[in-house]
Amino acid sequence: MSPEATGTTSGLPSKKVLGLFALAMINVAAVLSIRNFPSMAIYGWSCIGWYIIGAILFLIPISLAGAELATGWPEGGGVYAWVKQAFGEKGGFTALFCEWSNNLVWFPTVLSFIASTLAFALTPSLSASPWYMFSVMMIAFWGTTAIAYFGEEASTKFGNIGVILGSIIPAILIILFGIWWIGSGQSLVLPPLTLGAMVPAINMSTLPFFATIILLFAGMEMAGFHALETRDPQKDFPRAMALSAAIIVVCTVLATLAIAVVIPADKLNLASGVMQAIQYFFNAAHVPGLVAPMAVLITLGGVVSLAAWLIGPAKGLGIVAEEGNMPPMFDRTNKYGAPVAVLVIQALIGSLISLLYVFLPSVNQAYWILSAMTVELLCIVYILVFASVIKLRYSQPDKPRPFTIPGGKAGVWIVGGLGLFGTTLAFVVGLMPPSFFASNGLAYVFSVLLGTFLLAVPPLVFLKCKKASWEKPAEPGRDLS
Amino acid sequence: MNMTPRMEHGLVLFLVLMFLIPCIMIIFISEEVPYRIVPGEPVRDVAQAMGISVTSVKDTTWNLPGATGGKTYVLTDSAGNVVTVSTQAFDSAESRDAAIRLYNANPVGRGKPMGSLMVVGQHVVYVTPANSEILQRIAPELKKKSSP
Repeated sequence: MSPEATGTTSGLPSKKVLGLFALAMINVAAVLSIRNFPSMAIYGWSCIGWYIIGAILFLIPISLAGAELATGWPEGGGVYAWVKQAFGEKGGFTALFCEWSNNLVWFPTVLSFIASTLAFALTPSLSASPWYMFSVMMIAFWGTTAIAYFGEEASTKFGNIGVILGSIIPAILIILFGIWWIGSGQSLVLPPLTLGAMVPAINMSTLPFFATIILLFAGMEMAGFHALETRDPQKDFPRAMALSAAIIVVCTVLATLAIAVVIPADKLNLASGVMQAIQYFFNAAHVPGLVAPMAVLITLGGVVSLAAWLIGPAKGLGIVAEEGNMPPMFDRTNKYGAPVAVLVIQALIGSLISLLYVFLPSVNQAYWILSAMTVELLCIVYILVFASVIKLRYSQPDKPRPFTIPGGKAGVWIVGGLGLFGTTLAFVVGLMPPSFFASNGLAYVFSVLLGTFLLAVPPLVFLKCKKASWEKPAEPGRDLS
Repeated sequence: MNMTPRMEHGLVLFLVLMFLIPCIMIIFISEEVPYRIVPGEPVRDVAQAMGISVTSVKDTTWNLPGATGGKTYVLTDSAGNVVTVSTQAFDSAESRDAAIRLYNANPVGRGKPMGSLMVVGQHVVYVTPANSEILQRIAPELKKKSSP
């Protein structure tokens, strides 16, 4: 059977539709976000230092670890398959579930971003209407779920076009305007670049930002969820990791600097959102007419990012259910191979949390705690992934890995160790209460830890309740070990 | 099948509750800040009352629907800590809440939003960096000003 042909794997019909470009675009969609640029630009030249920290302690380690794990264990399930090999079903299921559950808390933020950015293109005052916000958020959420319903081919086409239009083109436009700004002799708001200016100030005040910068590049493992639909995973995964990392770094660093040299830091008011910064930017460049089209493109970028995070972990959970670790209800797939039950449950829970988010915004501090939980949950995922790449070098040394982290065991310890250090530190720092909680710091830490526990514990309950009848007979061509 | 559909549904319900419990619990322990007019300049008043120097003040109006103007203060304490505090008043609860949503919708990467946001009546107060001794001192007093 040719790799292009439709394959059947334990109930999930999978078409081998993904190549190098599509895999890379999945990662770019998950990681590259225009939202980050103004927030980082406020740091001026020192954003370079922060990006370097993020690259050394997370981006490079996760790209290398992901490439080794994805080529060594190119089964469906992504982080689930990788961590399961190292730490068994409990570990794998917990890693995947943490990735899935943190999404559900994160979805309202990206949906709100989509709705408010679209409002900017239509009538900015619309964003003050909770009903407008909730309606657009639900259309985006259920619309993206509907695209996922039509399987990998539809999602891939949407993702490829969307990420180019909504993420890469806006980033390139910002970079080009930055270059034009410098080239045309306009005044730069940053002082001359020196080595010292690039060094970030790391102290107790900026330490919480550390967790943020580590997770700035979270999502590089997203392509791993699509292994079953990849034509040649062992060849394409490492190249896709390299290509996506290069696109993400170039776009992120250059676009951030472009904004930083044009817009004064006091105009980059972080409470004002990305579109306000973009508007200032294009007004300064005397092309105000581009603001509305840019808002539409950035809205599309938000939807594509949502789709990448919505589809990947849901597919992983579908695989877990298919392997009999969840009740058969979760194992329902449609003729396109999409895990419909997981998608619908995800959309229902996400809609409920979005409802609270929109209609109770002035409990802002509550949402801060929920955001802190998402940080902790993601850190758990990555700690398990980095620990897995190290452990598997010892427990399965002879497993063929078309891509291996260079440097033998020392290399894997350095790469995995850097990743473990970064994510563990981010986990600890993520527990630091912000100053407005200072009078109630212990309650804050307790709330974050309890919430994280509640959102991470369901896999252990499911495995405890597991019945033999949940398991499907394995079909040829699929290794469920 | 060993598992009855009722038990299967129970596990689905359990899953949903695991998500809703943290959300509902946190919402219950958090105080909603009512929209009401707080007179004067709450940040300047609190800072001065606590012996924190206001080293610079600038008028600022955020480019947001319903924003009616505010100030950006640079505050310095005797230990040399410095924070920038921006305040912005809004003409309605809806526009103020939209600003809060916008803030929460702009996290960096998969992390938290930058800085800290507090709500004082009709004002949204944005402080950067998020953690500082100055904010730790002024936050409880600002919260008191929010109370009717």
